[in-house]
Amino acid sequence: MSFQNRIEGNEIIVFADTSLYSKDSIFKCLYWYGDKYHTNVSFADSNTYKVGLKPMSDNPISSEQAEKLLQKLERDLIDFNLRDIVTKETKNIRDLLTAKAFSNGEFDELPPGEISDPVGFNVNEIKND
Amino acid sequence: MIDAKPERKTRKFKESNYYDLKKDGQYFLLPFRFHRITTEKEIIVNEVGDFLILPTGTYERIVKRQVDKETDSELYGDLIANYFISEEVISPLIDVLATRYRTKKLFLNHFTGLHIFVISLRCEHTCHYCQVSRVTQNRDKYDMSIDYIDKGIEIMFKSPNPHVTMEFQGGEALLAFDNIKYAVEKAERIAKEIGKGLTKVICTNLAIVTEEILEYCKEHEILISTSLDGPKLVHDNNRHKPHASSYELTIRGIELARKILGHDRVSALMTTTKLSLDYPIEIVDEYFNLGFQGIFLRNISPYGFALRTEKSKYDTEKFLTFYKKALDRILEYNFQGYNFTEDLARIFLIKMLSPFNVGFVDLQSPAGLINGVIVFNYDGGVYATDESRMLAEQKDFTFKLGTLNDSYNELFFGKKAQEIAEVWANESLAGCSECAFQQYCGADPVHNHATQGDMYGYRPNSDFCQKNMEIIRYLIELIESDQRVKNIFQGWARTVNH
Repeated sequence: MSFQNRIEGNEIIVFADTSLYSKDSIFKCLYWYGDKYHTNVSFADSNTYKVGLKPMSDNPISSEQAEKLLQKLERDLIDFNLRDIVTKETKNIRDLLTAKAFSNGEFDELPPGEISDPVGFNVNEIKND
Repeated sequence: MIDAKPERKTRKFKESNYYDLKKDGQYFLLPFRFHRITTEKEIIVNEVGDFLILPTGTYERIVKRQVDKETDSELYGDLIANYFISEEVISPLIDVLATRYRTKKLFLNHFTGLHIFVISLRCEHTCHYCQVSRVTQNRDKYDMSIDYIDKGIEIMFKSPNPHVTMEFQGGEALLAFDNIKYAVEKAERIAKEIGKGLTKVICTNLAIVTEEILEYCKEHEILISTSLDGPKLVHDNNRHKPHASSYELTIRGIELARKILGHDRVSALMTTTKLSLDYPIEIVDEYFNLGFQGIFLRNISPYGFALRTEKSKYDTEKFLTFYKKALDRILEYNFQGYNFTEDLARIFLIKMLSPFNVGFVDLQSPAGLINGVIVFNYDGGVYATDESRMLAEQKDFTFKLGTLNDSYNELFFGKKAQEIAEVWANESLAGCSECAFQQYCGADPVHNHATQGDMYGYRPNSDFCQKNMEIIRYLIELIESDQRVKNIFQGWARTVNH
């Protein structure tokens, strides 16, 4: 079953496929709308999130603004989903980075490979003063 | 028979494909964040603040692995070289990146440096926005006692920081000059004994400064930090002194202090009030004409303005308009060949364009309160920041860590400090954790509490967030639009003190 993003009265309704959008990204996106809109997330069916925005009574919007808002919400959902992909994919490397940065050398490793010189002398024989 | 010519050994660079270790073009993402700058451009920022400005849609292509090593070779190279992607799961240069991250967090290395002694709450000014000072002769009640000065000094020297700063504030600090002398001499003696560096600063409006006081400051290498809100009209309206012009007294004081201490031993700070918002050019000109090397355009303090209302957003937007006009004026001076900086922009630019960072209380993460600055109030109360003790004057003791009678551990690592520590890193705050400007910004639990009612804060209607996001975005827009501005900003970014 397909769902159409729409403006219903003064409510913006957007649908998101659960296999494409993470729950985290939807909530992170809606966080930024919470000061001006009533936000709502529910399941339209088992594979689809239904996301709703309703202007607060002290923040009425025109039909033209509603169109723009719909477009903004659609775009923001994509942006936050992409951000969520990066956050989750890079979580381990970020943890490693922070651990290394705040360690006192216990996680340091020697760079891979051997030190050599193409001209042929043995760099290991160079004595440091 | 001719022998084959032996292959000549050389250190010349090999062809670029020699270094291509990943022929299949697969890449892995490193941590980075993104933000739309304009409809045409977006920015990506990595974990150490390096950024790339790219055409809209590039971020999506990067994440979806659509950047091709052959056809997008320039972009691909930039992404590799700037630590946005890696050809191996763990970049072989992870240690380099970790070292750079460590450098960005260097301000954490030594713990508390700035120790503010509110030496007296008494003042001879009646500034309308000041909610702290008292016009009174009651020394016993409003001056810091010798006992508390001793305890403050003792705690200051317990800081693991090898170089501490002792800053005297008020009220008007010079009203308690005898106590300042006592504190300076005692601190100097101890610093010498234990081998710690010591910087001394007096924050004063200079109205009652004398040659004798300044000669003492010269002898003891004390720096002077004063307040100057702009030209006479603005300054005198902001800073009311009964039966006198505060502006004229300040200017006289600055001249005298420069004459005795030296030009660079006197600095000035401005506070932007509603009135100031109408005079961006005049305020910048005032600082320039007085021979200062720059100005810090500080936004409206939330302690005198009701920021919880919608009016606040109006105020923040007005401040941003003011800020941009003033910054444009400052850039004009730079175009004419003068080195004149704006300090808020300079802080951001150091984070954006240099490998370093600046320890500035609300523009760092973890925030600078407690681990960068501590305040000893005149009555013995110990507060996390200067703003915290101002809240206390309004009977809000949320950021009171204890008193000077408490132990170092109780104050710096106690329950209250732990509670604040939960919310002092923007890496873990909603709205900030995935913000592209996270590395350039900071956390300010005190401001959040004062303006929004809780330390954690709510970013969608936070004036702190609105202001910083827009200023950073504007700086990037300027960098992108004019090479001359970029060169000037790179110069400002090199002025880091580390």
